[in-house]
Amino acid sequence: MAAYLSMGEAHRRINDYLSRLSDAISDSDGAALASLLAVSSAPASTPLSDALAAFPDFARLASDRFPHLSDFLPQLLRAIHSHSTRRFSDAYSSFEKAASAFLQEFRNWETPWAMEAMHTVALEIRLLAEKADRELAMSGKNPDKLQAAGSFLMKVFGALAVKGPKRVGALYVTCQLFKIYFRLGTVNLCRSVIRSIETARNFDFEDFPVKDKVTYMYYTGRLEVFNENFLVADQKLTYALVHCNPQSESNLRKILKFLIPVKLSIGVLPSRALLEKYNLIEYADIVTSLTRGDLRLLKQALDTHEDQLLKSGVYLVLEKLELQVYRRLVKKIHIIQRQKEPAKAHQIKLDVLVKTLRWLGIQMDVDEVECIMACLIYKNLIKGYFAHKSKVLVLSKQDPFPKLNGKPI
Amino acid sequence: MDPPSSDPYQPSASGDHPRSSSSGSSWNYSVDNSNQNAAYYDPQRDVSVSGSTQNVTNGVPHVIQPVMGTTNATNTYAHYSNSVQPGYNAAQYPSYYYPQSANSSSVQQGVNQSSGAVYQPLTSFQNSGSYVGPTSNTYYNAGADQTAPGYATNNYYYQNNAWAGGSSGDIHAQTYQTYTPSDTNAVQSSTSLPTNSIHYHQQYNQWSHYYDQSAQNSGGIAVSGSSASDTKAGSAGSGYAYPSTQPPPPGTTQWKGDGVAPTAPPPQAAGSSGFQSQHINQVPGAPGFQSQHLNQAPCAPGFQNQHVTQAPGAPRFQNHQVNPEPGAPGFENHYTNQASAVPVFQNQYVNQASACQQSSANYSQLSLSNQADQQKPLHAQGFPMAIPKVEKKNLVADSSLKPAYVGVSMPKNDVKAAQDGNGATMEASIPVSLCTYVERNLARSKDDAQRSAAKSILKEIIMKATADGTLHTKNWDIEPLLALPENVTGTNMTSTLKDPNPFSFSTSRRSPSRRTKSRWEPVAEEKVTDKVEMVSKDSAKSNVSSTWETAKRPGNSWDLGKCLQSRQAPLSQWNQGPYKKQRIGANSNLTKNGNASSDSDKEQDLTKYYASAIALNNSPEEKKRREHRSKRFERGQGASSKSRSSIPQKDGIANVYARRAMSMVLNRSNGDGASLAVEDLDWDALTIKGTCQEIEKQYLRLTSAPDPATVRPEDVLEKALHMVETSEKNYFYKCDQLKSIRQDLTVQRIQNELTVKVYETHARLALQAGDLSEYNQCQSQLKRLYGEGIQGCHLEFSAYNLLCVMLHSNNKRDLLSSMASLSKEDKLDESVKHALAVHSAVSSGNYVMFFKLYKQAPGLSSCLMDLYVERMRFEAIKCMSKSYRPTVPVRYAARILGFTRVDEVCEAKVADGLEECTEWLKAHGAVLSVDNNNGELQIDTKVSSTSLYMPEPDNAVSHGDASLAVDDFLARAS
Repeated sequence: MAAYLSMGEAHRRINDYLSRLSDAISDSDGAALASLLAVSSAPASTPLSDALAAFPDFARLASDRFPHLSDFLPQLLRAIHSHSTRRFSDAYSSFEKAASAFLQEFRNWETPWAMEAMHTVALEIRLLAEKADRELAMSGKNPDKLQAAGSFLMKVFGALAVKGPKRVGALYVTCQLFKIYFRLGTVNLCRSVIRSIETARNFDFEDFPVKDKVTYMYYTGRLEVFNENFLVADQKLTYALVHCNPQSESNLRKILKFLIPVKLSIGVLPSRALLEKYNLIEYADIVTSLTRGDLRLLKQALDTHEDQLLKSGVYLVLEKLELQVYRRLVKKIHIIQRQKEPAKAHQIKLDVLVKTLRWLGIQMDVDEVECIMACLIYKNLIKGYFAHKSKVLVLSKQDPFPKLNGKPI
Repeated sequence: MDPPSSDPYQPSASGDHPRSSSSGSSWNYSVDNSNQNAAYYDPQRDVSVSGSTQNVTNGVPHVIQPVMGTTNATNTYAHYSNSVQPGYNAAQYPSYYYPQSANSSSVQQGVNQSSGAVYQPLTSFQNSGSYVGPTSNTYYNAGADQTAPGYATNNYYYQNNAWAGGSSGDIHAQTYQTYTPSDTNAVQSSTSLPTNSIHYHQQYNQWSHYYDQSAQNSGGIAVSGSSASDTKAGSAGSGYAYPSTQPPPPGTTQWKGDGVAPTAPPPQAAGSSGFQSQHINQVPGAPGFQSQHLNQAPCAPGFQNQHVTQAPGAPRFQNHQVNPEPGAPGFENHYTNQASAVPVFQNQYVNQASACQQSSANYSQLSLSNQADQQKPLHAQGFPMAIPKVEKKNLVADSSLKPAYVGVSMPKNDVKAAQDGNGATMEASIPVSLCTYVERNLARSKDDAQRSAAKSILKEIIMKATADGTLHTKNWDIEPLLALPENVTGTNMTSTLKDPNPFSFSTSRRSPSRRTKSRWEPVAEEKVTDKVEMVSKDSAKSNVSSTWETAKRPGNSWDLGKCLQSRQAPLSQWNQGPYKKQRIGANSNLTKNGNASSDSDKEQDLTKYYASAIALNNSPEEKKRREHRSKRFERGQGASSKSRSSIPQKDGIANVYARRAMSMVLNRSNGDGASLAVEDLDWDALTIKGTCQEIEKQYLRLTSAPDPATVRPEDVLEKALHMVETSEKNYFYKCDQLKSIRQDLTVQRIQNELTVKVYETHARLALQAGDLSEYNQCQSQLKRLYGEGIQGCHLEFSAYNLLCVMLHSNNKRDLLSSMASLSKEDKLDESVKHALAVHSAVSSGNYVMFFKLYKQAPGLSSCLMDLYVERMRFEAIKCMSKSYRPTVPVRYAARILGFTRVDEVCEAKVADGLEECTEWLKAHGAVLSVDNNNGELQIDTKVSSTSLYMPEPDNAVSHGDASLAVDDFLARAS
């Protein structure tokens, strides 16, 4: 708990803070301003928050001292005070008002000197909204602050995604928006932002800061996973992985979490070491089943991690690996048969397949197996044909199991 | 109506409850009209919703006296302590409306069942009395309604039921509504109380029934004829509006402006605001005479009293009015309408109009009052002489037999008295009314001692009146009778009990400050009549009478037209409670005709007016009372508001709200109301409760606020659902019906198992018909309903949802979330398991599995899969033609693609399936050939693989929905 503060001391601290803020603005010192705006990252008790608690009339003090900032400073102080007293909903409301005032000013500044501060505001408002929503949800109220933060950030995005020097900061806000939308499950709202970013002709995507590009690619890659555009997803996620700070293992893991299923679906298997390094062990069995053609293991793995995979959204992707497992199984049978009976290596009897599957604990009748084989051929996983009359799968003599080579099924 | 068989008229008990401002007293009267003749009123239903604390104490006063035929008069005094005064604010008036539920024929409906007339007093008048004599069958829900907090009105509820003309169907419940618009009390006390005006909103729909019935019945009673003639005359002369609409025999008389009793100035004042009393006398052909008096006290300032008196079977019609004796502390007007089927054939109307002069005035006509101005119109109305005589007789008899305040008609009346009364009318020097008044008072006294005492008191009164110059101006007919010793009352009560005729009265006295209510209790049991006591009668009377005169004219402002209008749109009138106003805030539609001028303004005016009128009554005692009352009034407001807030919890009350809200909405739709901001609406209050009993209803998209008359209540909806389920008709009919059911559920905000059942039923039917859009509507509703924890076939529909998402919307995210929402237990469910299996079959392209699952689909899953079959078959045939070489037998394809069953034994069916499959394959561009060896048809896969195509659907229409094609629709609908 904060030690007792005399009114004078509290007054002094508040004035000090206000002075620094005012100076940062007048000096166009974006970094300093940004640090002063970081509300949510502050510990519960700071000299400033203690002073605010001891000096309840801080809002008037601020507006009296800096009348030209009267719509910004008092709200900001209120937000800091509410946050320090863990009234996050109030803190969010106050901060949003302050942020609106700041945005208004920001629009008027011709140079992007305050970009850093603007980004801090964008980050803070999201973090505060998340805290406020948790608080609201706990008290049984409608958690709608994050949504409000999304609306506000769209305004910020509008202020940044313009021609000119400020555009470079737009991607950061976009990423904050992505985070909000993914959390809220309203990913369809991402589309307009993405279009705005990707169709801009006057600004090269590569000119954005790397960290924003990585984040952006990560989220857009995830979106492509939902859409089952594996090639695009692979491209975007790979970009993110490549450009991601190698020190940031958690970020790498997040990227890999989606990149691995995408790679699996296009026939690229990760090493066991990679999975272990990034603690993505839930994919290990799936990878094993792909290498072994072990259909049973695939189903087991999917069952085991079903909730997790459904939640992250890659379940449907992994589910489609089933055909690859079948293909692997047929390939193994083919290899064995080639060793035993080279003359008939290309003819695999349906009975054999049925027996194999039964041995794996998969109960499928002949029709189904026949259908699966037909599907494998149809989807170019196997080259060959199926002779219905004789119930024989006839493999092509050349490259019966073509590599996917990055092609999706 | 057979007089004998029919039941006695059940007098409705009139109780006057003083209502504390906060609490409304509710009356529930259940009437069994059935042959038993008993009308039940539950006084207890008074829900003084508000917890009408204050009232409660006083409320008790209802004395129920069954009147036995022998002694006609039963006087029951309910004494209301003075302390209880009905104070209410306009705001506090709840508006009631009574939807009439159904047919008049349903006499037997319990009170509760009846949709209840909603009674809304619009204005806040302290002394407003409301009558609800709603439907013939009357149910009076009103309990809840009336009880509306803060409403201190007198409700007189007279129902005379019991006229069964042999068949129950013929039974007309008589609703006698007497409404005493203004209580003398109010007047006296009125300084604090702004106005005494009562609004009655009654639905007139009912009346139409009555009329019809009455017309039918009117067959041949002399009485009826006479009454009819009377009504006509009356209408002409007195400016009473008689609804001409009614068939002649059952004369319907509407009295307007009658309501003003001399003693009750307020109504008169209100009259300006529009006081209407409608008296509808219906004389059915039956021996009995039925008269309905409807007094309506319309909106705010004015009030309408509807008196509906139906005296069916009785050959005679008797109206008894009891004028309270002056001596009595309270002023009571009793209207007792009794139509007794009794062998005696006397119908007694006991009209109890507590302080309401309206009623008294109205009845006074009937009775004998000769007060010059007032009576003239009455006479002009020309009730058949016979009737007035009877009335007179009754009155006399009553007076003789009864204790004060109760006018009971004895079947055996003293002819003398009647004659005397008649003779008295002729006297010029002394007002006839005074003579009768004296007679009444004297007649009441049982022994010499009382008689002498009464005489002395009367002398004093007359002296005083002479001195005041009020002798001729005072309406003696309505003057309260002198108080009698209690023992008298007791004897009367006993006598009443003995009385073979069911009619009974109870009279209660009120202190002036209070408001009385009348309750009618079942004859056999009790009637309670609460009367308003007039305090300081003498002084007040003269004033009142004069005021009455003035007020009268304005009072006439209500015309028949309105009444008719109100019938047509019963609800529209009823809205206005101040109550609503409070709740809804901006809602201005409180007053009906755009009289939105705030009640309070009027009240103030009236208050001034009354204040002057009442100035005479400035005895310290009276002042004290007034103060007291005004205090209570204030308290009452607070209490009422509290009670209000708590009200919604109760169902009955919720109904009230709903009705009010609905009425409000209707008003709005009628353009009566002022604009209302959407955000100000209290949707709980707006929820309506339907009254429609039709099981079948065509769906029509609402373009205005729902009319409860066309909305079916839950029980009817249940029947409707059952009807749809068992109907043989086609989907279009069922869909239409279900949509209307859904609409009714929605507008009534019913969300329970029935709702789920309706949506499930509709969803299933839509699935069966392949109506995916309708299904989706239902599904989304079901999702929400299940989410709220309402039981239903949750798993079945989550399976359908899965299938729908995976097969039709193809939205991966939706599918993911749907799958993620399934619990482990859910996945064990047969239909859910099936749906998940379908998903895996589709995702891997396993068409064999798909068609297997298609054949095994539980419930209606196959219907959803149906919609995907075509695509799946095409995918399959493409796959097969690419991967199979050289050929695939059609027989195999037919089996795999679900044209024939795998385990089909019947060759004929297999052949059919084969043929169908062949057709299908050809339609999709497959190249077929015949096997040289066994002659079997087979698919040439290599050729087919390049020639397959998806044909345009045969039944495709330009707008994309085949079911919308007119020809097709007609073909299917027929």
